[in-house]
Amino acid sequence: MSRRGDWVYENNGGTCVAIAGADYCVVAADTRLSVGYSILTRDHSKICELADKCVLASSGFQGDIKALHKNLAARELLYQHQHNKRMSCPAMAQLLSNTLYYKRFFPYYAFNVLGGLDSEGKGCVFTYDAVGSYERTGFSAQGTGSTLIMPVLDNQLKSPSPLLLPARDAVTPLSESEAVDLVKDVFASATERDIYTGDKLEIVVINKAGTKREYIDLRKD
Amino acid sequence: MSIFEYNGSAVVAMVGKNCFAIASDRRLGVQLQTVATDFQRVFKIHDRLYIGLSGLATDAQTLYQRLVFRHKLYQLREERDMKPQTFASLVSALLYEKRFGPYFCQPVIAGLGDNDEPFICTMDCLGAKELAKDFVVSGTASESLYGACESMYKPSMEPEELFETISQALLASVDRDCLSGWGGYVLLVTPTEVQERVLKGRMD
Repeated sequence: MSRRGDWVYENNGGTCVAIAGADYCVVAADTRLSVGYSILTRDHSKICELADKCVLASSGFQGDIKALHKNLAARELLYQHQHNKRMSCPAMAQLLSNTLYYKRFFPYYAFNVLGGLDSEGKGCVFTYDAVGSYERTGFSAQGTGSTLIMPVLDNQLKSPSPLLLPARDAVTPLSESEAVDLVKDVFASATERDIYTGDKLEIVVINKAGTKREYIDLRKD
Repeated sequence: MSIFEYNGSAVVAMVGKNCFAIASDRRLGVQLQTVATDFQRVFKIHDRLYIGLSGLATDAQTLYQRLVFRHKLYQLREERDMKPQTFASLVSALLYEKRFGPYFCQPVIAGLGDNDEPFICTMDCLGAKELAKDFVVSGTASESLYGACESMYKPSMEPEELFETISQALLASVDRDCLSGWGGYVLLVTPTEVQERVLKGRMD
């Protein structure tokens, strides 16, 4: 008799990308929600603004993702009450890791990318696996289109790739508009070849002026 | 681990303006151990027709030997080289003969047909052909290759630009796949010449 532990999860698809710049961070995700070969909705956001300089994008099982985002937002509010300031991005990064590992033996089926500005105002991106292993990098992609997108980001970002040793603190020298254009290009390519990615692209740009949101149409097939 | 991932491989072919390029990685592994770093995956059938075989290495070599045998017979009977489209049908038929005990290979065929028209196609291990006008990919790094090629490809590239594009796409993709890499091998074919180049990439 095969073990049927898998039925508690479902993959709703989608792709998330984040790129860190010298004084900005771009976090983007598509807005398609799928189940099997069907589309449930073309208009579902995978991005959650946890703090003024900290944005989380997650793909995977939306039930777990909703619960995770709610959990983190509540913890951030508690932090605000206790410390009289909002959580910084590196602090949220550690909190997310701990939250994920807390459920090590019944994980959140969520593949996360956290983006924002660190305490010095430099862009930072943290990338996670489902049980909380994380790393600060200059850029990352997670989700069904991640394998299609990562090699292109490695090639285009002219910043030390996470694959290079020794590990270096990496932000891309590209400007904000160049990074946003690159994100649009990689999503257009991923949409062509990944059935779970498409419909609309939501782009959130965080810089010292605040947070800006933009929507781009992607192929709907 | 799947049988297709036993040796690790990456093969890609792209169409340019009256030319084509076919490239592969050079690693031969036994699951996670690397056994050779100069393994040939792209083979010549005749001056204007090449086949790249990803998947299980032993099947790639056996299949290549069978195809060369069939092509030589064809040359004796017809007194000419096979057209790429004909060759693709031959490969497809040979693979389907083994429908219930297949060769664990995914071929990528690239050639110059009549009027120097470039032709590329790929097929699954059972011989289902997929013709493409732009690029075809296969191997353990295929998803990465899809993303990289989709982003970097432009139609009607000249040979030099095509070489640059296919090299960048191959190296970027195999760097994200632990089972393929250890350099690259690129063949650029135009109506007048064939250029072979070995790429140095991350040697891991």
